[in-house]
This record gives sequence, C-alpha cells and structure tokens, in this order.
Amino acid sequence: MGRQMELLNVTKVYPSQSAETHALKDITFNIHEGEFLCIVGPTGCGKSTLLKIIAGLDQPTSGLIKFQGEAVTEPHPKISMVFQSFALFPWRTVLQNIEFGLEVQQVPKKERKEIAMEFVEMVNLKGYENCYPKHLSGGMKQRVGIARALATDPEIILMDEAFSAIDEFTAQTLRREVTEIWAETKKTFVLVTHNLEEAIELADRILVLTSVPGRVKSLVSVTLKRPRRRGTSNFLKFHRQIFRLLREELEHSIGHHHLGFHHPTLLHHGQHSHYFSL
Amino acid sequence: MELRKTLTGYFQFRRMISPRMISSPHKLLDKTLWIFPLASFFVVWETVVQLGILSANVTPPPSKVVIVLFHCVRDFTFLSRVLHSFINLTTGIFIALFIAAPLAICTGLKNRVDLTLTPTVMLCGSLPDLALLPLFVYWFGAGSVAAILMAAICAFFPIYFTIREGVKEIPADYFHVSMVFKANKFDILRKIVLPATFPNAVTGLRLAFDFVWEVVLAIEIIARVAGIGWLINFSVESGSIELAFASIMAIGVMALTIDRLVFGTLEERIRRWV
Repeated sequence: MGRQMELLNVTKVYPSQSAETHALKDITFNIHEGEFLCIVGPTGCGKSTLLKIIAGLDQPTSGLIKFQGEAVTEPHPKISMVFQSFALFPWRTVLQNIEFGLEVQQVPKKERKEIAMEFVEMVNLKGYENCYPKHLSGGMKQRVGIARALATDPEIILMDEAFSAIDEFTAQTLRREVTEIWAETKKTFVLVTHNLEEAIELADRILVLTSVPGRVKSLVSVTLKRPRRRGTSNFLKFHRQIFRLLREELEHSIGHHHLGFHHPTLLHHGQHSHYFSL
Repeated sequence: MELRKTLTGYFQFRRMISPRMISSPHKLLDKTLWIFPLASFFVVWETVVQLGILSANVTPPPSKVVIVLFHCVRDFTFLSRVLHSFINLTTGIFIALFIAAPLAICTGLKNRVDLTLTPTVMLCGSLPDLALLPLFVYWFGAGSVAAILMAAICAFFPIYFTIREGVKEIPADYFHVSMVFKANKFDILRKIVLPATFPNAVTGLRLAFDFVWEVVLAIEIIARVAGIGWLINFSVESGSIELAFASIMAIGVMALTIDRLVFGTLEERIRRWV
C-alpha cells in the first residue's frame, strides 16, 4: 500500500478577539491507498476542520498536504466527500443529485445518466431514482450522498460524520453496506466520527486526535478480522485501548478549562458508552 | 370474521393517513365549501338593496353590477383600460425583478457587499413610496412612464429582501458540495443559487404583485393616469356607480385569476420538492 496522501505539520490557527486559537497543531500522518481510516477525537478538537483541509475546502495556516506527491491547495477531482447534513439538493431527484458531480464535470447527458443508475443500484435505491429527497428517510438520503460521492470515480472518499444524523438501526445497515462498497471498489475511505464503536467496526487504522489544539495522539491499527462484531472480546480490547487514550484527553481538557462537571462516560466506562462528546 | 378483519384494516388505514386525506369521501363537498360564505354575502347584499334598506344610489344590487360587468367585458375600451393598468404593473414588476434579483444575489452571497449596500436599500425602502408620486408626475407627466416607474420602485423592495434572504439561507454544505466537484462560478449560480432561491423569488413576486396593484390603482386615481383606477374615479364622479363596482369586481377577478394561474402553478411546482 502506497502513501496516497501525506500530511506534514498541518496547523490551523483561527484569529479570535483575544488571542489566536490553535485548532490543529503539527498534524503529520499518511493516508494509505485503499485503506479505511477513521479520525476520532474529543468534541471541538478540529477533526472536521482537518477533513475540510484534506478536501481542499479549507487552507492550513502552515504545513503541507500532498496527494500523490502533489500539494493540495484546492479541491481535487479525485477526492470526494460525504456530508453529515447529507447536503442533497432538494430541487433535484435522487438520480439528478447523483449526477451532479458528473454534470459540472461536463460528462455527456446519456453517459452520466447511465453511470448514475449504476450507483443507484449500488446503494440499493433502485425504484427511488425519480423521488425528491424530501420523500426519503435519513438513511436513504445518505445513500444518495454516498452514491453522489462515488459517481465521479474518486480515489479518496471523505466522510464527515456520515452516520451521525441517521438513527442507529439504519446506520448499522448502512455501515455494513459501506464496508462492502469499500471492499468492492478498493477506494480509500476517510471517516471522521465521534462514535468510537463505529470507528473500530470500520477502520483499518484509527487516528486519535488530542483535545484543543488537535494534535496526533496516536495511530491505532485495528487488526480485527472482518466482518467485525461489536461486543466480542477483541473488539472490546480495542475499545478499551482507544477509550483510555480519549479519556486522558477529556480529563486534560476538563482540568484545563475548569468545566467542573462529571461526564458519565468518564466515571463508568462500560461497553454501552460509545459517545464521548462533552 | 372476514368482514371484521377488513373493517379493522380500513380503520387502521384511516388512522394512518393524514386528516386531510380522511375527508376524501367528501372531496367534492370540501372543494366547493368556499362558495357558501361568498354566495350568502351576495344574497344578503342583494336582499338589503332590494328591500330598500340601502338605497340603490349608495350601492347597486350585485345582480346589476354583474350585468354591467358582462356588458363591459364585451366593450373594447373597458378591456383596454384594464389591460393598460395590467401592462404598467407587469412592466414595473419585471424592471424591479431585473434590477433587484442580481443585486440581491450579490448582497446575499458577499457579506461585504451586503454591509455596503443594504443599509442604503433599507433607507430607500423606508421612504413612503407614494410620496414620490408628485415628483414623478412633475418629471415624466401623468402617463404610463410615471406609473411604471412607481410600480418598479414599489416592487423592488419585497423582491430584493425575499431573494437576499433566500440566498443567505443556502446551507454552506451546498457550496461545499459544488466546490468538492469543482463546479465553476457560473454553474454554482445556475445550479445552486438560482434553484435554491426560486421559492423565495416566487414569494417576493407575489408580495410585489399584491402590493403594486394597489399602488398602480392609487396612481391612476390620484394622478389621473389612464387605466382601470382612472375609470373607477371617473364612474363615481359621473354618477354611474354600477360601473365603479363592476370595475372593482373586474380587478378582483383578474388579480385572483393571475394569482391562481401564475403563482398557484409556480407554487405547485415548488411544493413537489420543498
């Protein structure tokens, strides 16, 4: 597996009224070709900002991002994105939404329709291609979002909390399907999430960020065999390992900001507490 | 047993569907309900005048108004007057749309432009529109030019503010999507900004349309610009009160028809996806 993407000392500073706030500090890591990478970290650690920088939607204050050896300063046609808010255009049908990327890249009408239909089938939305998004459930909307991201044949698919706005039951099915799509297409997936179990279920590697300013805390290789089941002893071992890392960060940030309240997951770490946002 | 099952199923089905759909057996009745208050209004009006409680000099009976109206519709000069007002009004609205829409899109997209221009636009919008009328008549004479310009000015503000609001409300992720797929500026405008603000534009035009009708009539009455408003004024002054009533009714019917035909259709289209 080659180094498809390299991040070198990526730092993001937001100017604020009193002082400059560091959102991200000296982030250095590689994304391997064809891997499933998850990025986790405490709320507000800048993990979504990091994903936007990788997508070329935001510029780092300093540092360098390279995609296939070339510096990324603006969105790259081979890097696509799935959004937490789905970001479907309500005035377009399912098919027209999936076609959007191809349309602005001037793919002829007939060809892009065929490609879009292919992805309608891939995300199991056959029969819904002429529906408007308002008639779809959250899970179905995100299927459209995933199909739209895949339709332009990218090499990296960035997912920003892609399963967070969907009910847990639907999200479970969708995660399984995304794993299948990932295995089938051999594309690189990068998912930002605050759901630790989700990360362990999906990722080859998990990048754990520290609390503000976000730095690389650890890069954990998840060596579990697929399909992964939650609740097995090996699964829980990873859960404990990463949770410990995150707990250190939460304690640090609470001590640091004098928040003075207890978060239940800090006190009782059980297998059901998979959220660790404050 | 079988029947009971069917009935239970039917009632469960009725509970599942929305209240509006439940009344579907009386669909025809539901769709004609609006006639009753309207009909009773005319019946009461007719009776009051026929019984002499109200003098026919004050208000003509509706039957007579309707007869005059039918007579008028066949009269070319009457129709041309209505058309005259209507053309002034639509020209004004279109002029307003062609200036307000690009401006509103600019201020909606660029905060700096908004901070620069919108205070001035708001200031101009808070001026009483009709106060400008004497000046316009002084500059352009009591004709169509003054009426069209007044209509354009009055239509400008509702159109500008609704479109600007619509542009500002476009979710940031829509722009992120277009940037990820490397859409150019023209595509962003055509495929995102315009369709996203279309519902607001329709609302703005509708508001403008309702408002500008009144302004155009006021101009015709006050400044004696040719049109249906002028005719109302003239009929009252020359004592043919039925003609005034018929003109008012014609305006009502026309405004309602356009509202249903144009805006109703547009809103029906929007409702498919909003």
